[in-house]
Parts: sequence; structure tokens; C-alpha cells
Amino acid sequence: MIPIDELKQYEILAELDPTELKILSGMAEATQAQEGEVLIRAGLPARTLFILKQGDLMVAFPDGRAITMHKPGGVVGWSALVSPTSYTASVTCLTDCTLISFSGSELLRLIQRNVAVGTKIMRKISEVLSRRLPFLQEEDKRRIKSRR
Amino acid sequence: MGGFSAISAGNGWLIAALGISVVFFGLASLAFIISYFPRAIRWWNDHAQAPQHTVQLLKSLFGRRQRKAAISADSGERHKPEELDDVEEALRLITAHMSEPFKLPRLIEVAEQRGLARVHSTINRLLVREIMVGGADGLFHWTTPKDSKEGVNGETVSK
Repeated sequence: MIPIDELKQYEILAELDPTELKILSGMAEATQAQEGEVLIRAGLPARTLFILKQGDLMVAFPDGRAITMHKPGGVVGWSALVSPTSYTASVTCLTDCTLISFSGSELLRLIQRNVAVGTKIMRKISEVLSRRLPFLQEEDKRRIKSRR
Repeated sequence: MGGFSAISAGNGWLIAALGISVVFFGLASLAFIISYFPRAIRWWNDHAQAPQHTVQLLKSLFGRRQRKAAISADSGERHKPEELDDVEEALRLITAHMSEPFKLPRLIEVAEQRGLARVHSTINRLLVREIMVGGADGLFHWTTPKDSKEGVNGETVSK
């Protein structure tokens, strides 16, 4: 469980009201990962969405291109919310990291049940996706379009 | 005279042993030469890329002192400046063999294969200091000392 005040600071959850944040607070867990640890492997089933709390990450796409994340609030593992759920990129910790993790299936159930929460979260996920779209493979782009 | 006595009389045993030895040493020499092919090819490749390699090395040496001063001024240093400098130089040498801009995951993979210590955090430091920067295309390159904005503590360079 993560305090509501902390969750509110992250861009992806900024639009949620306290009641909605309370639901998410019960689903969120703090996760620690060490420097060099592979948090997510491309191609594997996507089961967890992570928000970066502290540390630095590298998101590596299958063609070898990469982006790095250094600010708290960065989101990785959005594939957990887009069917069929498999990760499109690998994520490695460049330094020791603290992350907030959400179970993809729980979050997906919440989004499907609660339209208001779903809309707010998916809007933010779309923003993340639009920034990463140039790096995605054609197959993944088709997958996202079909989801929309 | 025939059979074994004829072979002995004509120095046949000696000639047979000599023949076996010649074939054995011939094959052994061939195997030895072939075993050096990879090294010779590597040397040839390095030699062919020598100008580019030299330029990269000079660049890394040229920008070394200025960056060292900036790194020392930063608080909360986890690497000793000289260690960072050595790893940076090693990373520059690796990237000299890769085309620039280069793929960051590949650089990390090669650096780990070569036994460099704490590759991830070192690269992170170089990224935060904008000594190494990522482009919008997801590829990375080194900045020249003039271009780099040093002393930007903890600022993001993510694209």
C-alpha cells in the first residue's frame, strides 16, 4: 500500500480524485531493484505496470534503440494494459531503483469497472505511448490502434 | 627377396616413418596457422579503422581534464573521478569500433563482456552530465567538450 499523497505526485495519476486514489493506493506496492537488474523483458507476458519513484532506467527496444528515464513519475510496463499483454521493450535499471508497481490484471479490471478512472489513466498512458510510438515495431503499433 | 625383408632392405620402414612425420607436421603447421586467422583478421580490421580510432582516442583525451574538474565539484560522488574517467575512456574506445551514433544496449553488453565495473551507473552518470546524449531516434552519441552542459545535477536527458 502506498500513501495517497505520494501517488498524487505522479503525472499518470495526477488527475485522479482522492477516492479514486484510495482505490489505487491499496493496489500499489513498493518495489526495489538493483543497478543492472532487468525489470522487464521484451516479449514476455506483461503482468506489471511500474512508476519510477527513484533511480534511473533504460528502456531498450528490440531493434537496439533506447531511451533513458531519470525523473520520478516515468511509466514503464504500459503493455500490461494493452491486450494481448506482452512487453514491447526491455527495461534495465541504470542505478538502484525504487518503483511503485501495479498488477496489470487488477488495474485492467479497475479500468473496465470504473470508467472515470479508466479514462483518466488511459489518457495518460496514451501520452506516454505517443512519445514512444517512433520506437515501436509495426506489429505493436497495429496492436495499439486496434485497442483504440 | 620379398615381403618384410624387401621393405627392410630398401629402408622402407624409415621412409614410411618419414612420410608419416612429414604429413603430421604439415597438418600441425596448417592448424597452427589457421588458429591465428581470427587474430590476423582482427588486427587487419583495427588497422583499417586506425584513423577513426585515433581521432576518437584524441577526442577522449582532449576532453578529459575539463570534465574531471566538473565531476570532482559534484557532491555525493559514488565513483572516484579517476575511475569514472578510466571507464569513460574505455567506453569511448568501445564506441570507436561501433558506428556513431551507437545503440546504448549494445554498448552496455560489450562493456560488460570486457569486464568493465559498474557499467550501468557509469553510463547513467555520463548521461546525466550530458557527456553522452540520446537522440530522438533512440541512438546515443558523445558530446564534444564544448557542447556538453556539465554540472547539471540529476537533470533528465530522457527524450
